[in-house]
Amino acid sequence: MRGFWPVFKRDLFASFVTPAAWAMIVIFLFLQGLNFYWLVSHFVNQVDLAVDHGPIQWFFGETVLFYLPLLMLPPALTMRSFAEERRAGTIETLMTAPVSTPAIVLAKWAAAMVTYLAAWAPTLLYIVILRRAGPVDWKVVASSYLGVVLIGASFIGLGVLMSSLSKSQFVALVLSLAITIGLFILGIGEFIFDRGVAHDICSYVSVWTQMSDFSKGLIDTRHLVFNVSLTVLPLFMTVRVVDAWRWG
Amino acid sequence: MIVVENLYKTYGTVQAVRDLSFRVEPKEVVGFLGPNGAGKSTTLRIIAGFLGATQGRVSVDGHDIVEEPIATRASIGYMPENVPLYPELRVREYLRFRAELKGVKRSERKSAVEQAMRDARVDDHAEKLIGQLSKGYRQRVGLADALVSRPPVLILDEPTAGLDPNQIREVRDLIRSLAATHTILLSTHIMSEVEATCDRALVIHKGRLVAQGALEDLKMLRRAASARFTVRGDSSTAEKKLRAVPGCAKVRRIAVPEAKGEHDVHVFELRWKESQEDTASAIEQAVSALVGAGLGVREAQPGKATLEEVFAQLTEDEAGSATTQEPSEDAEQQEGKPS
Repeated sequence: MRGFWPVFKRDLFASFVTPAAWAMIVIFLFLQGLNFYWLVSHFVNQVDLAVDHGPIQWFFGETVLFYLPLLMLPPALTMRSFAEERRAGTIETLMTAPVSTPAIVLAKWAAAMVTYLAAWAPTLLYIVILRRAGPVDWKVVASSYLGVVLIGASFIGLGVLMSSLSKSQFVALVLSLAITIGLFILGIGEFIFDRGVAHDICSYVSVWTQMSDFSKGLIDTRHLVFNVSLTVLPLFMTVRVVDAWRWG
Repeated sequence: MIVVENLYKTYGTVQAVRDLSFRVEPKEVVGFLGPNGAGKSTTLRIIAGFLGATQGRVSVDGHDIVEEPIATRASIGYMPENVPLYPELRVREYLRFRAELKGVKRSERKSAVEQAMRDARVDDHAEKLIGQLSKGYRQRVGLADALVSRPPVLILDEPTAGLDPNQIREVRDLIRSLAATHTILLSTHIMSEVEATCDRALVIHKGRLVAQGALEDLKMLRRAASARFTVRGDSSTAEKKLRAVPGCAKVRRIAVPEAKGEHDVHVFELRWKESQEDTASAIEQAVSALVGAGLGVREAQPGKATLEEVFAQLTEDEAGSATTQEPSEDAEQQEGKPS
């Protein structure tokens, strides 16, 4: 793991010293804030609430508003990671330093992950606000955030891989978006096919199903396996891609 | 220090490097000379560990680049062509990052960075953003980066490309001052650069080593080509006198614009025979012959062969002698005697 820390620190520094990360976080929080505001306004007029259909469940999975920022943030955070290094040529100084490829890939993933978590962190305030209005089930909050972290980890893994495939940040962004949005649309197939293999596949990959389970406090090992594999596999492939540049 | 054996690099159908073998001894400054696209950068990138070789072996400081990639890279300070840097970092921050990346211990990092900045003479711009630096300073930051982990070997890809004459002189002085403590392999397409900084030159053309040897041999190649005379007086007499100079192969009259208005000023180019070794005394004889004939000699200038001419010469030799031989023997044959 030689070289993990310096690359991790530099990547994090690069995103926070330039306006890029700040702009993304602001837009993300604005959209999620709007989402939260709509939900709260909606629930204010509800007379009685079902136990597992409260504002937290709705915020973390029952409305499409939640997914739009979730699908877009990771690609925006990872588009730079390798594409920019290759465009600027700094990849040459990086790869001729005595560092291992897995360390570089992991450092880039971790830096994007920390930025992702930093974007989500202020949404904890929403829970604090809800807490003032009534009781909050902290286990549901924890499992919801676990879902956010797991899905983010896999999307960021995929984004890092896409970023290693192109010298252009824009192409990397489009590829990553195609994958995150593609997975989401594929998941909708769950509601189209009533039963059979197609239904099972669609429901397995569905971001919606995963988040709506997590938002009900349900931690399904299938979701864990799916997301962890979808994090590890792209990172492994990225290591291969980066090593393959030497032989291109 | 650096040993390259039978190196090949193929990109698709293009052979960028073909059967390249050479050695660089400790504390030697070697210039890697060749026109653009000759395979210089490719070779340096392979040694630095950025590219993999298609075939062949490279070892640096006793480490094989394939078997011990990390150890090899740790012993090299590499400055890539065009010096890619992170524009959002300050010079000191960048060098600190590079030092950490290269495994300089935390306790030594600060002093290593300060020392590298002093050696590369960027200490006066330590707090500037790299994005705001001039080309010359960027080049020096790249050099400081190469130096920061105190590696025994420096590999510099076109260290003076894109600099103005003053900056070029500074960078050359810098390289010379580093030569006492480092083994340096640098690439360039400028012949005078090799003369100014290197002990020895490797000449590469179309991915092949066409000549290698001490600088003296290389200088001989340059000197041998021609001489130029600016003469006032009768042109046919001058031409006749020049033709009579020993060692003269050909005399050609050149139309030169600055001679306008002075109708009796002519410029001649005299090409030496290849056998002519001592062109300096031949120029002396030519001048005295011209003066003896009552002509005014305004200028006598030994023509230095351009790199292109040297290449033409070297590659012609290669085509002549190498057709029936194995390429590896060919490279060895030319060693030390670029003819």
